[in-house]
Amino acid sequence: MTTLRIENLTRRFSGQTVLRDVSLEVPSGSTLVLFGPSGAGKTVLLRLIAGALEPDAGRILIGGRDMAGVPPEERGVGMAFQNFALFPHMSAFDNIAAPLVARGVPGARVREAVEAVARLLKIDHVLAHPPRALSNGQKQRTALARALVAEPALLLLDDPLRNVDAKLRFEMRLELPRLLSGRGATVVHVTQDYREAMALGDRIAVLDEGRIMQEGSPADIYLRPATIGIAQLFGDPAVNLLDVVPAADEGVHVALSGRRLSLDPGYAHAAGRACVLGLRPEAIGFAPDPAAPDAVPVTVEAETPLNEKIVTLVVTAGGREILVSRPLGTPGPAMGPAAIRIDSARALLFDRATGRRIAPGRSAPAEAAA
Amino acid sequence: MDHRSLLERWLRGIALALVVVFFMFPILWIVLMSLQTNETILRSPPSVVFTPTLQNYAALISGRLETEAGALDIAFMSNLMNSVILSVGSVALALVLGVPAAYAFARHRFRGSEDIAFTLLSFRFAPPLLVLLPLTLYFQDLGLADTYFGLIWVYQLICLPLILWIVRGYFEDISPDIELAYRIAGHSWWATFRRIALPLAGPGIAAAGLLAFIFAWNNFIFALVLASADKQPVTVGALAFVTASGIQYGQIAAAVVLSIAPTLALALWAQRYLVEGLSLGAVKG
Amino acid sequence: MSAPLLVLDRVNKIYDPDGPNPVHAVRDLDLAVNPGEIVALLGSSGCGKTSTLRMIAGFEAVSAGSITLAGRAIHDLAPARRNVAMAFEGYALYPPLTVRENIAFALKSRRRDRDGIARRVAEIARLLEIEDILDRYPSQISGGQQQRASLARALIRPADLHLLDEPMGQLEPQLRAHLRGRLKHFIREGGLTVILVTHDQTEANALADRIAVMEGGVLQQFDSPARLRERPANLFTGAFIGEPPMNLLEAEVEARDGRIIFRLKGGAPLDYPAGELSPALLEWLRRGGRVTLGVRPHRVRIGPGGLPAQVLANQWLGDQSHVAASFAGGVIVSVEHDRVPHGPGAEIGLTIALADLHIFDPASGRAIGHGGRLVEET
Repeated sequence: MTTLRIENLTRRFSGQTVLRDVSLEVPSGSTLVLFGPSGAGKTVLLRLIAGALEPDAGRILIGGRDMAGVPPEERGVGMAFQNFALFPHMSAFDNIAAPLVARGVPGARVREAVEAVARLLKIDHVLAHPPRALSNGQKQRTALARALVAEPALLLLDDPLRNVDAKLRFEMRLELPRLLSGRGATVVHVTQDYREAMALGDRIAVLDEGRIMQEGSPADIYLRPATIGIAQLFGDPAVNLLDVVPAADEGVHVALSGRRLSLDPGYAHAAGRACVLGLRPEAIGFAPDPAAPDAVPVTVEAETPLNEKIVTLVVTAGGREILVSRPLGTPGPAMGPAAIRIDSARALLFDRATGRRIAPGRSAPAEAAA
Repeated sequence: MDHRSLLERWLRGIALALVVVFFMFPILWIVLMSLQTNETILRSPPSVVFTPTLQNYAALISGRLETEAGALDIAFMSNLMNSVILSVGSVALALVLGVPAAYAFARHRFRGSEDIAFTLLSFRFAPPLLVLLPLTLYFQDLGLADTYFGLIWVYQLICLPLILWIVRGYFEDISPDIELAYRIAGHSWWATFRRIALPLAGPGIAAAGLLAFIFAWNNFIFALVLASADKQPVTVGALAFVTASGIQYGQIAAAVVLSIAPTLALALWAQRYLVEGLSLGAVKG
Repeated sequence: MSAPLLVLDRVNKIYDPDGPNPVHAVRDLDLAVNPGEIVALLGSSGCGKTSTLRMIAGFEAVSAGSITLAGRAIHDLAPARRNVAMAFEGYALYPPLTVRENIAFALKSRRRDRDGIARRVAEIARLLEIEDILDRYPSQISGGQQQRASLARALIRPADLHLLDEPMGQLEPQLRAHLRGRLKHFIREGGLTVILVTHDQTEANALADRIAVMEGGVLQQFDSPARLRERPANLFTGAFIGEPPMNLLEAEVEARDGRIIFRLKGGAPLDYPAGELSPALLEWLRRGGRVTLGVRPHRVRIGPGGLPAQVLANQWLGDQSHVAASFAGGVIVSVEHDRVPHGPGAEIGLTIALADLHIFDPASGRAIGHGGRLVEET
């Protein structure tokens, strides 16, 4: 059983700090997703764990052992790469067998193990082919097989689903947990796709500019994002952001197109501050009765279906654009005037100056954990 | 549409033929010359009709040259041997030194690495005459003058920068991830260099080696100054045909044919291998 | 309905017809686009969609067939005389001109008044969020910004037809949903007719009124996004359209005791009262034999009852849950819009309503019936 601990890791490249005081702990057998835009430092962090780079400060402990000065071949990790990094001059079989051969496993056992993992990944029919004769999907599966075959206690996945088409990516996303479960491996998975992060992570660490911006379960990140930036990164279409100033008389509310939108009374402490209201498209619906007090009048401008949802672009009287989404097959309004209704229990509130989320006060006990 | 493309094809054929004639003519001409006696070569007007003779080749191989002024001993075959020893020796040494150096320059950025690499390249810019005089003096003091070892050492000025810079580019084209993947699989640095980096840069190393061989083979000035008769390569040895009784064009031509034959054969053979190696997409995977 | 604006009549494209390996890139393509319509040509690379677009634009000669635009046969005209505007996949912005000059270029050549041009440029720049880079040069802006500039240049130009080649591939993900909505609104308001080429069905679905699905140079189906989803003409479009893709199940048909039973691999039966099927479909199914069944992931219902399945993965994405389960010897995928409580290993029940069932002929791939009716009846 292997726990990965990262303590105050810092790494600079020619004077530029690409990782700044990063600390993480990945419990044995769980999956941590490192999520962030390109250039956030995810890949550097993974290479530090793999041993391709040495940190300028901080420690990496794999299974309690300090990895300072330990070369990659002695860290006992498996790794899959975004560009697959297959050995071009070897067959798929030899690629997958490489970790076993290095450990001096006898030939018959190598063949057995390679064929077993290849069957699991459905590439047993292409084992004799060189990488250039494989399709993209097969290359990706070969790279995964190579990372898995020696049953490493720590598995590093560097955006392995990025370079395959949408259909394969989806298939692999559903299949990956099944491949990993039962092996008991501790997994660090790097991705830029928020869906992949939500689907595969027991925990997600959001990295930006070399810092960890938030670490938590997928539900923490999606429902209680620490900053506006994180809220924007998770969700498609992205969260709607509206500048508001909450007022606290007879409950807490914000003004929206002349209507009052009531917020959780726990937000009373934010009254009078310049805030940003974050509304996820799925937290907004169309109001059957435009005259209702909680209905906000809008103009429907366009309807754009998206992945079994229908996304509607509406504009308020004040010219604010809002995206509304609803499941495919549910009725929606025609182009032109309509009204929306906002599920204020799912609204997020951020401080406009700092960009940080404002947590509601005591009246909402469910939020206390955040 | 159709006849235009036919015309195009004709024009392209003619243009290609002109280019081929332009480049191949000197070689053809020298082969023809090597099969004639000095008299037929020098007659006026020149003619392409002659009785071919192998006497030039016979003279070169036997080592005895009959001229009007009498018999002359020439050391052409030993010159040829010297060329082989010097070229093979210097390319081999340059590969042993240059390939690991190229790998180091490609994979590790250390203080001054660019400066060192550039200094090595600048050896190619310096006119050989500039270094020759001091070198001659040093070599005489060190006892290296007129030795194969000394010449091979000096030939590194030609071969090493070439190999270093070409092979470095090939190493840089190999994704570091491929090497990292092999190390994570459990292989040492040295095993990774031998089993991943070297095979993948193979075509590049072959190309660099070939170029270095041709440059070394064609070198004239270093050998002229630093080698005496028994260490001279063919390029210098060919001077022996400029005799007191005239220039032996026939023998020169035959000597040229014999001396370009190995490099030509090597280039033709390696060309196939190089094209194959490069089109494998060796580093793309 | 008014007459179509653009008509492609049995259009063919053959590359290198006299060469050793002629490539038949587009085969007998018939396509009619109505004025004010947004049509997407959708397919994977090599399906013939780009060749089709290039033939309409005039960059590629038509090997056989005719193209008519606004009543004029245009397939023999030079590109400049077709009155077609195009946004190129490689952007093709003029490097020595600023973004503003690039966008205004098409208008200037028509000698419009200066204020009008400035107003139009400002309007489209606001729409595509490139206002603050109007005075920069193409080399100074990102790929996504170049793509938006190229879109702006094409859309602002008055033309009978606007062609967009992979118009949104490089756009920043956070902007995409907004830009799609605004573009669709802009195109509608301006009454433009647009043909866009894309390999990304998300984009085609979001923007297009009708989608022409192409594969191997052959038009597979030309229909609205909703009909492509609900009434796929064959297995290819059925499996191609939809994210996540349609679940496909092999089944043996049995008819007895007033019921129709699709016996799946491993014996699990999908069982429906025969009375709910149209007589014509019943007639077809009574012949027995093998069929391929298709059902969209969001129509696979998880709940009490139904056929037994075991959860393999349950992934919550914030607004949807994707559940993969082992079912009838294979894997079936269900999409729910709420969180699903069942973890891996849990036994669940799956129901598939007859109304959501697509029936295909496994030999030809042709669709036989949708939702209990024969294709001809729907």
